[in-house]
Amino acid sequence: MRALVTGANGFLGRHVVAALLARGVDVRALVRPAARLDDLGWPSSLEVFRADLRTSHELAHSFDGVDVLIHLAAVVSGGEDAQFAGTVAGTERLLDAMATSGCRRLVLCSSFSVYDYSSTRRSLDESSPLHQVPEVYTRDGYTIAKWWQERLTRRFAEKYRWDLTVLRPGFIWGRDHGYLAALGQQFGRHHLVIGPLTRIPMTHVENCADVFGVAAVDPRARGQTLNVVDGPGERIWSYLSDHMRGSGQPGWRLPVPYWLAISMVRLAFATLFRRATKVPGILVPRRFESRLKPLRFENRRLQETLGWTPPLNYQQCLARTYGPAAARAAKG
Amino acid sequence: MKAALIGAGQIARQHLTCMKGLPGVELVAICDLSPATAEAAAERYGIPAWFTDHRAMLEKARPDVVHVTTPPTSHFKLAMDSFEAGAHVIVEKPATSTFEELETLVRRAQAAERHLVEDYNYVFNHAPQQILQRIRSGQFGAVTHVEVLICLDILGPSGFADPNSPHPALTLAGGAIADFLPHLASLAHFFIGPHRTAQAVWAKRKPSLLPFDEFRALVDAERGTAALSFSSGSQPDAFWLRVYGEQMQATANIFETRLTFDGPRNVPKPLRPFFSGLEEGKTIRRAAVKTLLRKFKGPGAYEGLWELLTRTYRSLADRSSLPVTASDVLAVNRLVEALKPREQRPREQRS
Repeated sequence: MRALVTGANGFLGRHVVAALLARGVDVRALVRPAARLDDLGWPSSLEVFRADLRTSHELAHSFDGVDVLIHLAAVVSGGEDAQFAGTVAGTERLLDAMATSGCRRLVLCSSFSVYDYSSTRRSLDESSPLHQVPEVYTRDGYTIAKWWQERLTRRFAEKYRWDLTVLRPGFIWGRDHGYLAALGQQFGRHHLVIGPLTRIPMTHVENCADVFGVAAVDPRARGQTLNVVDGPGERIWSYLSDHMRGSGQPGWRLPVPYWLAISMVRLAFATLFRRATKVPGILVPRRFESRLKPLRFENRRLQETLGWTPPLNYQQCLARTYGPAAARAAKG
Repeated sequence: MKAALIGAGQIARQHLTCMKGLPGVELVAICDLSPATAEAAAERYGIPAWFTDHRAMLEKARPDVVHVTTPPTSHFKLAMDSFEAGAHVIVEKPATSTFEELETLVRRAQAAERHLVEDYNYVFNHAPQQILQRIRSGQFGAVTHVEVLICLDILGPSGFADPNSPHPALTLAGGAIADFLPHLASLAHFFIGPHRTAQAVWAKRKPSLLPFDEFRALVDAERGTAALSFSSGSQPDAFWLRVYGEQMQATANIFETRLTFDGPRNVPKPLRPFFSGLEEGKTIRRAAVKTLLRKFKGPGAYEGLWELLTRTYRSLADRSSLPVTASDVLAVNRLVEALKPREQRPREQRS
């Protein structure tokens, strides 16, 4: 089996490549033309295809002999338009190319950000409501781009009758990516911890990559949409503590109850910022909720469908992220 | 008036947001080569139809005005087809890749009795308009000299110097800086009129994908002189405009809201600098607050684009003189042409 992996040299991608190689899958890594690959430790048997999804004209050849596309690439920085152009228009060009090939199988890396947290009560799972038009356009650039990317991919899959698996990871953490937006608001070394007992929908990058490896080869994954979290998640207060200890960055933690914080944000929005069109995300109630709303998260469908349990437990993940062995582990 | 837009990329957002609020303007269609980009823009701005083929859009939507906001090399064809379809054209700068194309475009517009408006948004920002107002009122005296200096870091990997996806502006003579020449030239033009001679210096100081990163020019025009500059090496980012008149001088940072005037005062001459300094300090403090507040609402530094579009649609509706005329566009682009480098690479790069 040969897999084409986009974003293969990214934070998640390099671990997905390792997970696929470990399952005996041949990998063709699609990376940007100027990407540096020296420190990834990829075997010489791994094929590298250099292209930029935003502009390259040769994407069709990247599918030569490919059985499954693992689409991880997304633009996560820059302005809203840059993210849309990179993530959505890039996906459009990639899937246009796939439509001209014999590849019929696709695993998409979507995101928890496609869920409408504001309309979700208590527990968030695969049946929770998604953003709708036009409400989605009030969201941040990342959310709009990921929501559209999934919408677009589903349309292609339906039109060409592809076997699609949509994986929606929560917050992916790992070495050099220990700080998560779910932790609240950072001020220098100090942290405003909003809802300290809230659990974080989190998945360690190696556990998350393992799910992609399973989904690529396991026929039970076909046609499925699965949330990817390692379990119910750590509480913000204790994870932040582990993060600060592990990263050697001491600072103060000021706890604020979630209900108090969201009430203040709602009040400020209704009074000060009602007419404002450009407000920092944390001050917009709906965006605030999608980062911090206390909900329950579980991976029951992932367990039931693929029989998956995370290969690494939380302590092992901490060791991989902050311990001395992390550098070696990250190289797969 | 029915409006349509081709090219739903970054700057399109400013056009569309502004047009949604303009009385008498109905956004009827949007076009982009990417179906998802076109559809998303249509959903977001409540536009009833979206297309991926601009000819199909022109035929079906029959717009009165077409906004062309695609990369520069495609402007000429899209504008020509829009004139063919009987629409006025508002085009992002630079209007065309070459001056010959622009002349063809202007002739086509005149034959079709349509208007061509190139976006000189910064001319219509608050500060330049305030200065022009004082010039018209006679307070300023005749303008003798204008200085425009844009300091902008364009060497970062995500913008013009993206090694993975070359920016469309890099195909222009002068590379990324050529994208800013219409701003420099239009400001010079609106203050001192059509140019007579121009001398430009193009340089490359830092290693990058860009052919040039520094630009200086001296311009002699009908009503005064201008020094036009672009620096990617000088930080922080700023857009300085200084206008020197026979009685007053004005200084503005167009990226912010800072605008100060210095002129005659009813105080003894030795005390003039003291009172000027006090007033300048007060003005700058007020502008700092205003610059902060505008981050929460409105077009920010694109206020001039909104102003230009508002005035253009008003003029089209009542058939009055446009804020940017065909002769302005030709004069500005003659200056742009005179400022372009003769070689696309600095001398030492070619050996």
